[in-house]
Amino acid sequence: MIQFFKTSVDFLSAPTISFTLLTVLFPFIFPPTDWFDKVNRKLGIYKMWSHTGNIIALILITFFFVVGYFDPNFNITLTKADNFPIVLMIYTMWYFTWLAMHKAYINDERLEKGLKPEEYNDPDDKVLVWPDLVYIEFIALILFMVFLIVWSILVPAPLEEPANPAATPNPSKAPWYFLGLQEMLVYFDPWIAGIVFPMFIIIGMCAIPYIDVNKNGMGYYSFKERRIGIFIFMYGWVVLWIYLIIVGTFFRGPNWNFFGPFEYWDPHKLEALNNVNLSEFFWVKLLSKGLPTNPIIREFMGFIVMFGYMFILPIVLAQTWLKNYFEEIGPIRYTALMVFGLSMLGLPIKMYLRWAFNLKYIVSIPEWFFNI
Amino acid sequence: MFKNDERYWDINLLNKWFAISSLIFLVCMVWMFIDDNDDEFKDYQKEFRKLETAVIEKKLTQELEQVKNDRELYESQLEVAQIEFGKNTNELEKLESTLQDLKDRYYVENNMTFQAYKAEVDVTKYLIEAENAHGGDEKKLSILNKRFEKENAKLYKYKLAKQKTEIEIASIENQIRNIKSNVKEKEKELDNFLKQVELANNQLNLLDRNKMSLQNKIADFVRDLPILDFMAPYYKVNQIVVRDIKYDVNFAAVPQVDRCTSCHLGIANPDFVDAPQPYTAHPNLDLYITSASPHPMDNFGCTGCHAGRGRGTSFISSSHTPNTPQDKKRWKEEYDWEKIHHWLQPMYPKKHTQASCFKCHTNTSDLAGAEKLNFGLSLINNSGCNGCHYNDNWKSVGMAGPDLRKVNEKLDKNWVKNWIKNPKHFRYNTRMPSIFEQANQEDPIVTKRNNTEIVAITDYLFDNKKIENNKSKNKYLGDPENGEKLFTNLGCMGCHISEEDPQNSPKINSYSNLTKLQGPNLIGLGSKVSSEWLYEWLMNPHEYMPTTRMPNMRLKNDQAKDITAYLLKSRNTEFESTEPPIAESEIIDLVALDWLKKVNPDKYAKSKLNKMSKKEKMLLIGEKSIRHYGCYGCHNIDGFEDAKPIGVELTYEGSKPVSKFDFGLFHDIDHTVHDWIENKLKSPRIYDRGKESAPLDLLRMPNFHYSEEEIEAVTTAVLSFNSDKVGEPLLAHLKKPDVYKEGHRLVKKYNCQGCHLIENKGGQLVNTMGAPEYAPPNLNTEGEKTNPDWLLTFLENPSIIRPNLQVRMPSFHQISNEDWDKIIQYFQLIDQTKRLYRSEHLVDENTTEYHAGEKLHEFGACNNCHFYGNEFPKQAASTWAPNLALTKERLNPDWVKEWLKQPQDIMPGTKMPAVYLPTEDLLSVDNAEETWGQELVELSGNQDAMLDGIRDYIWNIKGPTDISDLVKDYFEKNGYDFNSDEEEEDEWGDDDW
Repeated sequence: MIQFFKTSVDFLSAPTISFTLLTVLFPFIFPPTDWFDKVNRKLGIYKMWSHTGNIIALILITFFFVVGYFDPNFNITLTKADNFPIVLMIYTMWYFTWLAMHKAYINDERLEKGLKPEEYNDPDDKVLVWPDLVYIEFIALILFMVFLIVWSILVPAPLEEPANPAATPNPSKAPWYFLGLQEMLVYFDPWIAGIVFPMFIIIGMCAIPYIDVNKNGMGYYSFKERRIGIFIFMYGWVVLWIYLIIVGTFFRGPNWNFFGPFEYWDPHKLEALNNVNLSEFFWVKLLSKGLPTNPIIREFMGFIVMFGYMFILPIVLAQTWLKNYFEEIGPIRYTALMVFGLSMLGLPIKMYLRWAFNLKYIVSIPEWFFNI
Repeated sequence: MFKNDERYWDINLLNKWFAISSLIFLVCMVWMFIDDNDDEFKDYQKEFRKLETAVIEKKLTQELEQVKNDRELYESQLEVAQIEFGKNTNELEKLESTLQDLKDRYYVENNMTFQAYKAEVDVTKYLIEAENAHGGDEKKLSILNKRFEKENAKLYKYKLAKQKTEIEIASIENQIRNIKSNVKEKEKELDNFLKQVELANNQLNLLDRNKMSLQNKIADFVRDLPILDFMAPYYKVNQIVVRDIKYDVNFAAVPQVDRCTSCHLGIANPDFVDAPQPYTAHPNLDLYITSASPHPMDNFGCTGCHAGRGRGTSFISSSHTPNTPQDKKRWKEEYDWEKIHHWLQPMYPKKHTQASCFKCHTNTSDLAGAEKLNFGLSLINNSGCNGCHYNDNWKSVGMAGPDLRKVNEKLDKNWVKNWIKNPKHFRYNTRMPSIFEQANQEDPIVTKRNNTEIVAITDYLFDNKKIENNKSKNKYLGDPENGEKLFTNLGCMGCHISEEDPQNSPKINSYSNLTKLQGPNLIGLGSKVSSEWLYEWLMNPHEYMPTTRMPNMRLKNDQAKDITAYLLKSRNTEFESTEPPIAESEIIDLVALDWLKKVNPDKYAKSKLNKMSKKEKMLLIGEKSIRHYGCYGCHNIDGFEDAKPIGVELTYEGSKPVSKFDFGLFHDIDHTVHDWIENKLKSPRIYDRGKESAPLDLLRMPNFHYSEEEIEAVTTAVLSFNSDKVGEPLLAHLKKPDVYKEGHRLVKKYNCQGCHLIENKGGQLVNTMGAPEYAPPNLNTEGEKTNPDWLLTFLENPSIIRPNLQVRMPSFHQISNEDWDKIIQYFQLIDQTKRLYRSEHLVDENTTEYHAGEKLHEFGACNNCHFYGNEFPKQAASTWAPNLALTKERLNPDWVKEWLKQPQDIMPGTKMPAVYLPTEDLLSVDNAEETWGQELVELSGNQDAMLDGIRDYIWNIKGPTDISDLVKDYFEKNGYDFNSDEEEEDEWGDDDW
């Protein structure tokens, strides 16, 4: 029984399957449109935001870790001092997501009935900074200090050998909070995964209040009033960030090979990774020719694809599917949204291209250190 | 402040939360302090404090026991003195009060008056001098001079008064001292007597809290409290910083820091030899740790030799390594021990600690105290490891195996095939390792391929060579019984054994046993070589193989025939009847094609193969296989003169991180470097287990069939090849020039230590010969002893020095003059002398010493045993000793004196007695001159002069220096059979002399 559970988890956690599952299920969990909402209601998925849903989810997560603790292979990764924050992160991520959604659903119902949201505080929606805010923050601060002290006493800092460029550890892992970025490096050139994307994440998050002009749902929890915004954000945060961190922590073993959580990290494991660039697909496979020496000509297909994706596609969308939206927010906001949104969407697209076609780079000019 | 109804939260509730969380916070802070101060080493130090207290208490009791009897004596003496002193108290009081008065008077009246007046005189003096220099007014000067005179006279009076009082004070002080002196002396005596007791007592007072005063108790407690313990704690980390040994952190080298003594507290204290770990004293304090030893702790630390994490202050964090699997199990149970993966230099297990000696002693394998390392290094030389593994740290000289370029003259093809397939089958203790029939070659196809390779290698070796079949020639066979005697007596067993029974053959577990197997175990030769070849080989090995290490024994024809007959008697019929491996033609194609494919595309390879004849295919396979298995690492083979070694370089193997070792697919071997090497040596193909390798990709290190002891020793040696950074002051090998290392290696290469004792190692031939006096001489002082000029001549062309030895120094024609020079310099460096040239020692025949020497010489009857040129000794051949006419050429004058004084010290077991030198007492009796002669009496017991005299007399003995022919002729006539009746000639020992 347990063995069956382990085998299924190992099978499901393969990035192709788990990522697809998450991506497909995501709109049903955070329904961005009425149709998804209908299905959500019909299947009762919204019940996961009830108290029972919370308890069941916490039990499931805990069950997973308990089984993992007693598994000789998962035990090694799970009990590493480095990975302790990830375990905490999984719990907190679930709990705070649940809490927000739980409250949002209550408020949504109240709003539907024409009541004010729960957070609304009579008589005039006011609470005092002192003592109501600062005092509680101070207590939280003390308790958090307690937690940090106890943690540092019980789990000594995981120090390793002196850094040696000639002998790097295998696998070499970034600090846990960067593992999502490191996972992106599997699919992108370092300058994109390590520089452009992190910058876009920060700037993009700063830009959210300026792009999202929806005035509803401010100051209280609500899902229905900004469901597309929440859907997009949650997809980016949970799937493209948290999920990648978990993969990087628990599922990436020696040589950055993928291992299910209950599999043994065999350093001898081999995976066939024969990746091909778009230019090679085009010139060699399609036209049966050699690659042109001029990199611009060689990569012109890639440039066209990238140009089409980043410049033509937004214009087409603005004229068709997103016409109303474009008119509502204006060209500047629309452009910003497209730059950030399409970049974000680029990650799953690239992942699928890699898995489906072994596509290495769309534009590949290693002479200039320029690869997309 | 606020109205409660304005608040969102209940303030009282928040207060409670605040109180509770603050309390928890406080508890955590306390916990943090406790955790921070709860160090493992402190527990050990507390335990050690108890232990130390017990040891010192025991010592105190012992000391008290020792002083018990005499203590009363001293105490009663003191008491008597005190009573005596008591009687004089009145007088003393009186004296003391007088003294006080005097002193007061002296201070006020005498001294003060004198000093004050002197100041005034000095003023006058100054005025005169000033007037002299600047004014020169006669009148003024004369007044001043008069005043000066008067004042001086007065000052003198004061001075006399002062001195008078001083004398009085001194006399009274003296009286007081006299009264007190007796008591003081007795007190001092008692103190001296109780010194050890006091010492122990003081130590105990610092250790044992029960013996402390209340204040000290409190202080002793407070000094170790958290935060306050920065000042002078009792429980603290002990640390040694070793500047000359650096730990490499990749971008910098930091001095080694060892905190081992934080727990190993008794390490330098001989009182703790039997204490439990970690308090045990180091087992060899004469050699290590103490400041008087050659390796003081302050210069070498602990991890300098033991490796491990010196900064660690707990059992696990210092990276201890268990010595055996049993230790590991026990440690896991008792200490929750685990390996720390992130420390790159884990401690050596105890069995390999000697690997560290090599860090500083890289030029010798005769290092005293490092027997395992010596053995391992010697094994590496003998096994020919360097043939395949380049090693800059320990180069061996020459090839380990025989030259195969004339193999056709010596062996037949079938023998060679069977031998390559399984050398052990022919000779159970051969040094040739097994390349085939190993664990990763069990697959039937691989076995067939191997057979083909064996046949091909043989074909290659015999290619273009005439095969001589002369097995049946009897004209080279003599008397085997005499041959056996010669084999034992001439010294063949310095390098060879001839032992068919594995049970009786020497166990290879020490260097001295290794020297017995320098050459092959001479069994089964009847199945191997022809009488003609063996005879020729014995007569002149260099003709067949110029680079052989086998020397020329200068045998006569008959002797060589006898030995040939003896050696060929032994046959290995089982081996003879074994069918040699065969090469099947389809397998030949398979193997040849595989090799062709390595450098050709498959298509060309196939067409090339089709064009080849069978012979060509076999030669191709033969050549490639020899290259593949690295046969040329140990054997000279035509066509492989410049081939590179096939194995991994071992220069820094001991420093290679464990992650660079391929442990294969299985997990049953501990991931440590030493376990990897041990298992590799035990079963060289072990890391191929479970792998799906192509036949040519299989591991190919051959199996040396090492015993457990050998594996351990070789592992120690391999671990010793490292890249650790040790500072120049500690490098012992820098203290001797390179030529020492080279000479040492030559001595090892030619197995000089098989026959001779050098650096206190070797000389196993003594056991075969029975007694040291019939065995080759020990060479312990050779550098100091011999004239280098003569030594070179002798080594190049040995003559008979010791006429009573049947064993003979062979001729090593293969050693060049340069190499002999290195060997001679090596001998000198061992004795810390350097003597390339030597001036003639001139003898004056007219000195007293010379005549005294002559006289002593008569008394000593040197000519009983020694030759004097042509003149034979008086006694029988069994006691014959070197020709004294040779002495002046052969020996150094200083050494001869040392030798005459005490021969047994230099050459234990020699028949040479110490020269009797009359003492001064004997020479001063009335009729001394009659007995001893005038000159000896004149020297009046000056031993040095007497020795000079004897030495000079010997120097003056004339006659031919080389008596080889004389001796040979004698023994040819009379035979050598005196070993049996050696009892009778032992009638005079040193005492009667």
